[in-house]
Amino acid sequence: MRQLGLNTTPCVAVASLVHQWEPRFKLVGLLGLIVAVANVTDRRLIPVILAIAVAMYALARLPLSFWCDRLRYPGFFLMGMVVALPFLTGKTVVWQWGWLSLRTEGLWAALLITSRFITIFTLGLVLLGTTPFLSLVKAMQQLGLPTLLTDMLLLTYRYLQDLAEHLSKLQRSAQLRGVGKQGTIARLQLLAALSGSLLVQSYDRSEDIYRAMRLRGYGHLRRSAAAPISVDVGSAIGLGLSLLTAGGLIAAEWLLNHVQGNA
Amino acid sequence: MTQTEARPLENLPDSNPDCAIAVQGVQFAYSTRGVTLDSISFVVQPGERVGLVGANGCGKTTLLLLLCGALAPSAGQIRLGLRPLTPGNFYPEVGFVFQNPDDQLFCACVCEDVAFGVQNLGLTAAQVEERVARAMAQTEVAHLADRPPHHLSGGEKKRVAIAGILAMQPQLMLLDEPTAQLDPRSRRQLIQLLHRLPQAQIIATHDLDLTLELCSRTIILSEGKLVYDGDTASILSEADRLEQYALEAPLSYRRAYCNLDDRPSQG
Repeated sequence: MRQLGLNTTPCVAVASLVHQWEPRFKLVGLLGLIVAVANVTDRRLIPVILAIAVAMYALARLPLSFWCDRLRYPGFFLMGMVVALPFLTGKTVVWQWGWLSLRTEGLWAALLITSRFITIFTLGLVLLGTTPFLSLVKAMQQLGLPTLLTDMLLLTYRYLQDLAEHLSKLQRSAQLRGVGKQGTIARLQLLAALSGSLLVQSYDRSEDIYRAMRLRGYGHLRRSAAAPISVDVGSAIGLGLSLLTAGGLIAAEWLLNHVQGNA
Repeated sequence: MTQTEARPLENLPDSNPDCAIAVQGVQFAYSTRGVTLDSISFVVQPGERVGLVGANGCGKTTLLLLLCGALAPSAGQIRLGLRPLTPGNFYPEVGFVFQNPDDQLFCACVCEDVAFGVQNLGLTAAQVEERVARAMAQTEVAHLADRPPHHLSGGEKKRVAIAGILAMQPQLMLLDEPTAQLDPRSRRQLIQLLHRLPQAQIIATHDLDLTLELCSRTIILSEGKLVYDGDTASILSEADRLEQYALEAPLSYRRAYCNLDDRPSQG
C-alpha cells in the first residue's frame, strides 16, 4: 500500500490555483460539481461534463501519470459495469454477428455512465490530489460534520497504513516458512487465516487506542471545531464559479428533459 | 522506606490526604480467567518513584489500569489523596504511558498528539499552546512537532507519549514497560528524563537495572499477590529470593562482563 502522509498531498504539490483554493470552499465547490454531474442523464451534456473534468484537471496542474495510475483499478470496475451494456440494453441494432447484437441505446448508456464516472473520478482526484488529507478532514469538521465522524475518519486513515504494514509482515513471515508452494486452496486458507488474525489483533488494538483516548479525556469535554472563517477573494470566486457551473448543469439537464418531454 | 514484606491493610496510612495514590485491598479478576490481583494494598507519596516488577502475567499492567480508573476493581478501594477514584471517570492528575506508544499516539502530528489531552481540560488556546510547548521542551521533542508520530523512532515515540501525559500536568505517572524495545541510547535518554520529572511514578518493568537506578522502592507482584514492598537495593541483591518470583538479579549486581581476569590469553 502506498504510504500517504496526513499532512501531505498524495502527489507532488505545485502552486496551482486549485492547490491554493481554501479547503472548505474547494470541498463545497467540487462536491457541488460532482452532484450536478451525477444528475446528468441527457447524452447531449456528455461533452460538457468531460470538458469540466479536463478543465479542472488542467487548472490543478496535476500530472497525467497521476490520473492514469489512479484510474487503473476503478477502470477495471467500470469496464465490468459497462462492457455488457451495448449488447444487452436497447432495441436498435447497429451491428450483428451471429447471436451477438450491438445496440444504439446500450452504447449511449455505456458512454454516459463512463463519462459521468470519469468526470466524477477526475473531480475527486482534483480534490484529494490538491488537498492534504488532514486539511480536508478539518474542512469537513469546520463545515459541521460531527467530531465523532471526523475522528473516525482520521483514525481509520491513520491505522489503515499500520494494518497494511502489519499484513505485509504476516505475509513475509508466512513466506519465510515456506508458504507459496502450495495450491490455490491452501493459499486461500492461509489468506483467510492471516485476515482473521489481523481482524482479531486490530480489534484488540482498537480497544487499547480507545482506552488511551479516554484516559486523556476523550469525550470528557465537547471540543469545538469552529474556526474563524477567513474569506479570500480568489477562493470565493472559485466557489461561485463552481456552484454556477453546477447550477447551470442541473438547469440544462432539466431544460433538455423538459423540452424533449414537450416535444 | 524500610525493607518490609507486603504490608497488611490495617497498617496503611488511611487518612493521609497528601498521598499521590492509596490502594486498599484491591482485588480484580477478568471474566475469562481466575483472580488476577488479590488484596493489593500500598500507598505512593508525592514525588516517589516506585518500581513494579514481576514475571509476565503477574498482573502489573492490570494493576496500572486499575490505578488510572480504566478497570474497576471487584473489591477494595483506590484513592487519590482523600478522593476515591471512580472507574471510568477522567483523572488528568493520573497519567498512563502505554507500553506500545503506537496505541497512544493516534493524532496526525506530534504537536496535535501532545495537545490532545490538554484540549480536553477546557483550557484556552493560549494555555494549551503554553503547556504543549513546555511538555515538548521538557521531553526534548520540540523539533518533532510537525512529524507524523508513526514515522518516529521507538525512543522518540516514547518521549512524545510522555510529553502528551506531561502536558496534562499529572501528579502521578504510571509507566508500563517504558524501556521495552529501546536501544541503549534511547533507554538512557528515557531514564534521564524520568529522573528529572518531579511527579510520583509507578514504573512497571522487567528492566531491574532501571528500577535500581530510578526507584528507591520496589513492589513485587507474584501470581497476583503483592509479595514485597520495600527498599529496591535490598531485594535486588537477594538473587535466590528474586528467583522464587521468576526474576533475576540486575546486571549491575552480577559479575562484570569484561573482567580483566577473564580476558582471553594472547597466543
